[in-house]
Amino acid sequence: MISHKDSMRILIADDDEDDRTFFSDAMMELKMNNKLTLFNDGKELMDYLANPDVILPHLLFLDLNMPRKSGFECLKEIRADLRFKDVSIAIYSTSSSEKDIEETFIEGANIYINKPNDFTELKKVVKEVLNINWQFHSSGLNKETFFFSI
Amino acid sequence: MKLYIKYDGIVACRVILQEQLERLDIKHKLLDLGEIEISDSVSDESFAELQTELNRYSIFIVDNEKSQLIQKIKDTIVEMIYQNDKLPTITISQYLAEKLNFSYGYLTNIFSEHTYSSIENFIIIQKIERAKKLIIEDQLTLTEVSYKLNYSSVAYLSSQFKKVTGLTPSAFKRIVDKRRNLSNLKK
Amino acid sequence: MKLAKFYKNSQVFKIALSIAIAVVCYIASVFYTQMRNLDSSVNLIANATETQLELEKVLSIISIYETNLRSYIITKDESYLENRFLRRGEIETNLKRINVLVANNPARVKDVKRLNELIDYRFTLFRETLLLAKSKSPNIEALKAKLQQSNNFTELMKNYVYKTINAEGDKVKIHNDNHQFELQDSIISAFLLVILSLLILLLSFNKMNVDINELKRANDELQFLNHSFNNAEKIAGFGHWKINLETNTYSFSDNFFRLLGMEPQSFVPSLENISKYLHPDDIDYVTQMHLESLQSYKPTSLMYRFVLPNGDLRYVMSAGSFTRNGKGQMVKTGVNYDMTEQHKRTIELEENNKELISINEELESFNNIVSHDLQEPLRKIQMFISRIESTEMDSISEKGRLYFNKIRISANRMQTLLIDLVNYSRTIKGDKVFEDTNLTELVHHIIEDLSSDIDDKKAKIDLGNLPTVKVISFQMEQLFINLISNSLKYSQEDIAPEISIFSKKIDQNEVFDNEIITDEDYYKIVVKDNGIGFKQEYAEKVFVLFQRLETGAKYSGTGLGLAICKRIVDNHNGFIKVVSEPNIGSTFSIFLPKKA
Repeated sequence: MISHKDSMRILIADDDEDDRTFFSDAMMELKMNNKLTLFNDGKELMDYLANPDVILPHLLFLDLNMPRKSGFECLKEIRADLRFKDVSIAIYSTSSSEKDIEETFIEGANIYINKPNDFTELKKVVKEVLNINWQFHSSGLNKETFFFSI
Repeated sequence: MKLYIKYDGIVACRVILQEQLERLDIKHKLLDLGEIEISDSVSDESFAELQTELNRYSIFIVDNEKSQLIQKIKDTIVEMIYQNDKLPTITISQYLAEKLNFSYGYLTNIFSEHTYSSIENFIIIQKIERAKKLIIEDQLTLTEVSYKLNYSSVAYLSSQFKKVTGLTPSAFKRIVDKRRNLSNLKK
Repeated sequence: MKLAKFYKNSQVFKIALSIAIAVVCYIASVFYTQMRNLDSSVNLIANATETQLELEKVLSIISIYETNLRSYIITKDESYLENRFLRRGEIETNLKRINVLVANNPARVKDVKRLNELIDYRFTLFRETLLLAKSKSPNIEALKAKLQQSNNFTELMKNYVYKTINAEGDKVKIHNDNHQFELQDSIISAFLLVILSLLILLLSFNKMNVDINELKRANDELQFLNHSFNNAEKIAGFGHWKINLETNTYSFSDNFFRLLGMEPQSFVPSLENISKYLHPDDIDYVTQMHLESLQSYKPTSLMYRFVLPNGDLRYVMSAGSFTRNGKGQMVKTGVNYDMTEQHKRTIELEENNKELISINEELESFNNIVSHDLQEPLRKIQMFISRIESTEMDSISEKGRLYFNKIRISANRMQTLLIDLVNYSRTIKGDKVFEDTNLTELVHHIIEDLSSDIDDKKAKIDLGNLPTVKVISFQMEQLFINLISNSLKYSQEDIAPEISIFSKKIDQNEVFDNEIITDEDYYKIVVKDNGIGFKQEYAEKVFVLFQRLETGAKYSGTGLGLAICKRIVDNHNGFIKVVSEPNIGSTFSIFLPKKA
């Protein structure tokens, strides 16, 4: 079984530098021994994933509003590629509209995070997301029906 | 096209184990709850091969006794939630303690120490997981689901569902249905 | 009633009439035969009377003759014998007449023959007597004997004649009796005939009168209808037309012509003539559709334009269908409806609509700006505030900390305002999907979501049984969130908030939209608190956009919450009311229609 001592590979694509910083700071402060890679936009992320030898991440955070390639486009492309079928995708957006939440879930997202406006809150959210994702990976739960909106 | 399958993880796991062990000619006896009794000594090479083969299926040989116990706790919970058509009314803590012969306090401590969550949390996640299955695969109504899973009320089930998934059961069902329609369209 | 109906039924009347005529004919024929019989009886009687008269004449002639002869024998005066041959001739003519009279009575003919013989023998006796009397030496004895014989014979003859006369008289009597009888019958028959004829005449007259009256009334009604129809056409701006397919004749109503800007019936209705008024672009399509329909008998519904003589355009909707007239001929009838005004209005509406859509789009993009672009920097401000608060607060001066706290409060208030604005705009636009929603469950979820606020305030919330209603569920959520949050926010300082949410019977005199409403049509849901309340005079004002009663820093409202509530209830065709009293609390009542 996976022990929580194994590191979880996490990617995040967000065009906002501050948000990336908040995110990596939160991750660091959680001290959860994860390997986080940051991307400045969707295009950069997709270029990285295009490499066939890439080590697959466990979890991928996508901002929806990004120049060059939006999170929604990334989501569609990734879900169309069977290589990434085991990768959990978390949408990380300022939008809290039901429409966005439902649409991204329908297109294959697993997690939807409404960006918090409080750093403590952000840490809490990230922790919860990592936990639930870990549960799904480690306890043989059905990915098909894995949704988590926070 | 896309197929939707229903499977029993425990049975599948047992079949895989049996196949791999037989392939390597290891005399064995499958016990309940993730234990295998090996009668003969096994060579290091065979053991290593078994380990790598099983890893492919995300099956790991656990050597640590505590990890083993955690696995046993998980298996017991999963078994309890899935094996019976209707959950027994006995509390899970009582059930775990009886089944594993440890005090419930000890079990929760060990569990929380070695996983990211508590036993209660794990039980909730598993119950909601079963609820998802019942809603999607068996097309049961919330009332039926809450009866099967021993929820005191539909409202309680749906609020727990909302807590675990962030979605209401009806939104959940709508999303799954739409997702399936979408992928059928793509094919 | 039944009889009247029977009477009105012309079929029954026809049958009755023919029966009556048959009866009259029968009676007339009976009457005719009776009259014939009567006629022959009269003839017979006259005949018999005449015969009697003639016979008596014969007797009297013979008597005169005898008297004359006696007178001669006594006086020997030749003058008494002067007319003896004439007398014989008279008797001859009498007998001839009698013969004619009795010609068709064989028994009488025999009688007359016998009488003739008797007369002949009498005259022989006369002659013998005369010869005896004239002889120079009259044998008195012989003469006496001869006279005696003559006398006796005359007596015999008289008896015979009287017998015959009597026989004739008896016959006349019998005939006369019969005649009386027949006459009576005939009178009855004639009377009956007259009465019956009169009756039939009366009945026919009455029936005719009734029929004519009815016809007249129907005609009047038809005329009236026609008149109203013409008026209706004028007022409603439509004209009707008719085409007899058998005779290929067209007819247009008066208003049909008026719609073309023409005097009624100012030209001969025909396809060719009406085509002159069609808009050039419409001629081909209208003519084709029309002619096709004449083949297929399928109803037509066409929209086209007429160009009036003064150059005006008129938009016309023409609907036609097929039927058969009284003669069984196929007829196409239809109505032309002037749509010009509607058309203008539709175009106007379309333009307005376009404008509205673009306004809406602008509103939506504005909404996006508010919900996303404005919130982005604000969220970052809040993020940095929270980071500073957790790590840097110690190195800031007391005053700095105070200012900093004010920054945080302002930022939070701005966030609430932005969220409320988004929520408010979502109640204006957005998906309005009505679905059956269990309001108890919905409010239960809200209470869970608000649980941290509720716990902070140590509030007690009592949720009763609410109905399941067809609503826009996210809006309903918003409504209850706002109401409950309000109750929590505007609570009295030292009293733990108590909020109860329940459904209630509607009061008897509850009025909405000038109509008394009842439980039959509406649900009433109450949200009641024991908060600070307000003066009842503000009960209307609280629902107005950006109207705030409490402006103190203690109460951080945006002035949008209750406006959103009102909007949401409006969206559901319901209404919201509040009853409030300062320091006692507020009771909001939501009325939702049972039929969405």
